[in-house]
Amino acid sequence: MNNKVKKVLESPVVWPVMGCVILYILICAVSGAVNVRVITSGLKLCVFAMLLGIAQMIVVTSGKGAIDISQKYILTLTAYISCELMQYNIPLGLVMAIVVGMTCGLINACINVYLNIHAMITTMATGYLYYTVILLVSNKFANSPNDAFVKFTNANVFGINSMTAITIVIAIVLYLVLYKSKYGMNLHAVGQKREAARLAGINVNKTVITAFIINGALCGLAGALNAAYCGGANQDLGTTYFLPSIAACFVGGTNAAGGKSNIIAVCIGAFMMTLMSTFLNAAQISIGGQRLIQGIFIVLLLVAATKNSSK
Amino acid sequence: MKHKENQKPYLSLKNIDRFFGITKALQGVNLDIYEGEVIGLVGPNGAGKSTLMKILTGVLPRTNGEIIYNGSPEESYNARVAKQIGVNCAYQDLSLCTNLSIFENFAMLNVSHSMAPSKNWRNETKAEVRKLIDTYFPGSNIDIMKPLETLSLTDRQVVEICKTLMADNLKILILDEPTSALSSDKAQQLHKIVADLSAKGVAVIYISHKLDEIRVVSDRIVLLTNGQNKGEFYSDEITQDELIAHMGGASEKKERINLDFSNQPDMLRITNLNARGLNDINLHLKKGEIIGISGLAGSGQQELLQQIFSARKKKVKGIELNGQLSYVSGDRATEGVFQFWNIRNNILIANLDRVKGKLLIDGKKADQSAQSWYDKLKFRAEGIDSNIMSLSGGNQQKALIARGIASEADIIILNDPTAGVDIGTKQDIYKLLDETREMGKSIILYSTEDLEMEICDRVYVMRDGCITKELKGDEIDVPNLVKAAFIETEKKEITEKKKTGFSQYMTAPWMLPLITLIVIFAANVIINPNLMSYTGLRMKISSALPLIFAALGQMFIVMCGDVDMGNGYSIGLVNVIVGIWLTGSPLLGLLGLVVFIGLYMVLAALIKIRQIPAIVVTMGAQFVWYGLALLICPTPGGACPQWLSDFLRIKLPVIPLPIVIAGVAGVACWYLLFRCRYGIILRGAGNNVQALERSGWSHLVAKIVAYGIAGFFVVLAGLAYTNTCNGADANSSVNYNMMSIATVILGGCDMAGGVPVPVGVVMAAIVMNLINSLLTAMKMNSNYQTAIIGLILIGVLALKFLIHRKERGRCE
Repeated sequence: MNNKVKKVLESPVVWPVMGCVILYILICAVSGAVNVRVITSGLKLCVFAMLLGIAQMIVVTSGKGAIDISQKYILTLTAYISCELMQYNIPLGLVMAIVVGMTCGLINACINVYLNIHAMITTMATGYLYYTVILLVSNKFANSPNDAFVKFTNANVFGINSMTAITIVIAIVLYLVLYKSKYGMNLHAVGQKREAARLAGINVNKTVITAFIINGALCGLAGALNAAYCGGANQDLGTTYFLPSIAACFVGGTNAAGGKSNIIAVCIGAFMMTLMSTFLNAAQISIGGQRLIQGIFIVLLLVAATKNSSK
Repeated sequence: MKHKENQKPYLSLKNIDRFFGITKALQGVNLDIYEGEVIGLVGPNGAGKSTLMKILTGVLPRTNGEIIYNGSPEESYNARVAKQIGVNCAYQDLSLCTNLSIFENFAMLNVSHSMAPSKNWRNETKAEVRKLIDTYFPGSNIDIMKPLETLSLTDRQVVEICKTLMADNLKILILDEPTSALSSDKAQQLHKIVADLSAKGVAVIYISHKLDEIRVVSDRIVLLTNGQNKGEFYSDEITQDELIAHMGGASEKKERINLDFSNQPDMLRITNLNARGLNDINLHLKKGEIIGISGLAGSGQQELLQQIFSARKKKVKGIELNGQLSYVSGDRATEGVFQFWNIRNNILIANLDRVKGKLLIDGKKADQSAQSWYDKLKFRAEGIDSNIMSLSGGNQQKALIARGIASEADIIILNDPTAGVDIGTKQDIYKLLDETREMGKSIILYSTEDLEMEICDRVYVMRDGCITKELKGDEIDVPNLVKAAFIETEKKEITEKKKTGFSQYMTAPWMLPLITLIVIFAANVIINPNLMSYTGLRMKISSALPLIFAALGQMFIVMCGDVDMGNGYSIGLVNVIVGIWLTGSPLLGLLGLVVFIGLYMVLAALIKIRQIPAIVVTMGAQFVWYGLALLICPTPGGACPQWLSDFLRIKLPVIPLPIVIAGVAGVACWYLLFRCRYGIILRGAGNNVQALERSGWSHLVAKIVAYGIAGFFVVLAGLAYTNTCNGADANSSVNYNMMSIATVILGGCDMAGGVPVPVGVVMAAIVMNLINSLLTAMKMNSNYQTAIIGLILIGVLALKFLIHRKERGRCE
């Protein structure tokens, strides 16, 4: 029994869960009522940070300090594409958003792998490129979403918002891929030590490129959903989710050097980040105070959470 | 020399216990160290040798026991006391920084721990280092001004050993597996050094798994097993076989069975292979055969194994392969174990197809498969779910070999699989190899230990990238191997590739920023000739100042191996402090800036102490900066302090002030990093923390200093920015974050840390600024500007990568 308790306490899930509980209590205290709606609306709101957070986790897990900071631009770009194409055909828009996202991921990966440029710098540079594309398409493409698709994203399946449901299904599939499939094992091996992985017969480049492509696909999906959710695309659409998603990724115990991940903790982390902004809005603190509290909270949580993962 | 009957020990360890939790690493160990005596410390892996040495060097505190120095017990024994007593250790994993020059590696150790440089310390240290290397390893031809990364592993080991010899009061020298990377002539030189030192009265503790060597070098052999003393012997009174027997390894001489493989099919045939470091290689491997690759370390064996392994995926000319390959490395730490995983996953990773269901891995099958290997190899662990890092080196190696065999490959390449493995495990491994061959698999074994070659059916001996001799059956014994290893090859004269002055400058890290600066500047001048005027230059460089400072600050953090993702907002915070506080009440403003720099240092401490990735912490911190800035100044306003704009408006004769400021900033950083003593430490910290700490420096302090300097430059950037926009806005300087990172890269710094290029960074910052004005002047659609910066960044790095690859190609 004692062992089990210890194991639970050492799991990376603990910290984001604690964060959620604390924030929920704070929200209730501020609003003066125990409100379940906070959770349901939070589940809907957190979808984007969750998709990006999972995507980021996969990239980071591929090792060598990989990180994708072009995510926000991929999301924005695919949002425009989905808006434009959904005028003609909804599935086409959705699929193309994902395909474009995957292409962006592929470009990132190829520059990273074949030119041997650090992933952060690569994605910073490609981020500039994608941003230019966004600026170029933003006044040519439609920027309001398809009504039917908006309706779909607002619909409920068994009492759960459809976007939330989609994200949960994706998270479950990725859970199986990451921890129960050959690819997942390879990815974690590559993330721990690329040379050892190569000598064990793993195709390292392919594994890393695949990680970036999955990342791109998730960003593309998030872009299409987000365009519908926000009532259209705009040039800075993705910026809002940049920090919450990265925070979710690392608060969820992802090892920054790669090779270790926990998708459940990351999902809860994303939910926690959403609760935090709900709380800050509810508490009616000035923007400056909001940012300050947010920053201190993230840093403190990282300080607490990394104690476990560094071991 | 042996100690005399009634000689008092210089230092003795009495009844030393060391417990890690419930594991008893050492139990009541005694060790007397006498002046001038050479102690050979032997014992299987996990015997506690390294733990004992860590206690002796003071790195690790003891749980119980006494350390007696000159007859009186030392209560608070730590690394500093150990240094004072004269204990020095040459580590097996080398405590050197590859980014520093050889001379700087020495300087790191022996400079007095003060920040103030004495006048001529560089030349003095250089002379001392040169003398040291020439005395102890004559003919090694090491250029002490070159970066360490240009040295071979052998030469690095030489440097490591010399580094310990440099200590002022060397009394006890610990050599931890010193010959594992040394060629045999260097090993001979080392044995002579040990003898000389011992004659001078220095006590030497010599740790090695090579028992023949131990017997030659040492006077007294101390045997340790399971964390306890297992006996002491005088080297001239014990034979190697007796020693092995004491260590628990049976020294049975196996009867050689000569098998006939002539009817077996070829699994591998190499004909006239020429490749990097390899010359006209011919060899073949039959089914079920074990062949050995031998010869002096560094004669091309590694290259050969790598070439063979690379043939599994793409066709290599000259290599004909009939079957699957697997590779087992003896370099467990960097090429072998997956540290986050348990034994099960470590074994199965190369064999996942076997335990896969239709789509996913079949957990039950995987457990069974791993369990069967676990039982077969008699791991010493709690079970297949034990983390691999909790095992001893030998048991880790078992898992790796199991991985190689379980992959069902037909040919298994073993690269020095018994390096640092105790004798009992070695026997297990030999047995396993024999069984593997009986399963019809072929084995290629490379080993640094000649004795091990006796299990092979045939042995190829290499020298200088050629195979010089093939030994078969009964011919394979140590004397023959040694003889063959020294066969001279027709050496193709390898001319010392002296880089000409020109090509050396071409590859200098600041060259690229310089060339781009000239090109971009010229382009700007063509479009806008006014730029060349005094006012034109002043305006241009003045507008580049914030980026110059921001990038220099970023450079100090990148040098630590970190990245500051928050300096866009931290410049905004300084901007607000300057524009609102400093203008209104100078004292409050000054205080605010000092506190700000202090916060940067706190950040450094957090990152170091809690081991949190800097990228995430600085990203979180940017919210703190932004929040604080908004609290001070919710809406844009404020103004630049009068004195600041007055100062920046000063007109110097001939050279405009901003150019002077930029130049001074770059040169000051260069002087700090490359001419001051502490600069060595700052750069070393970005490369090898362990080397730093073993030399007695605090990594924490180094990091805090680097972040403090970075914070200082952020303040300068904020000041310059406030002047440029003449107001305060928490939000408007965000772009400096990405821009400063791009500038640091363009300036030639290495993102991995340890390589700051201050002058390059200053030039790159000016380039970035000029690019923008160039694009504006060319009436380029402003939408393309970000794309062009992105493309330039990728282009520069791609170019760098190609140049480096060419470089490396030429060196090898």
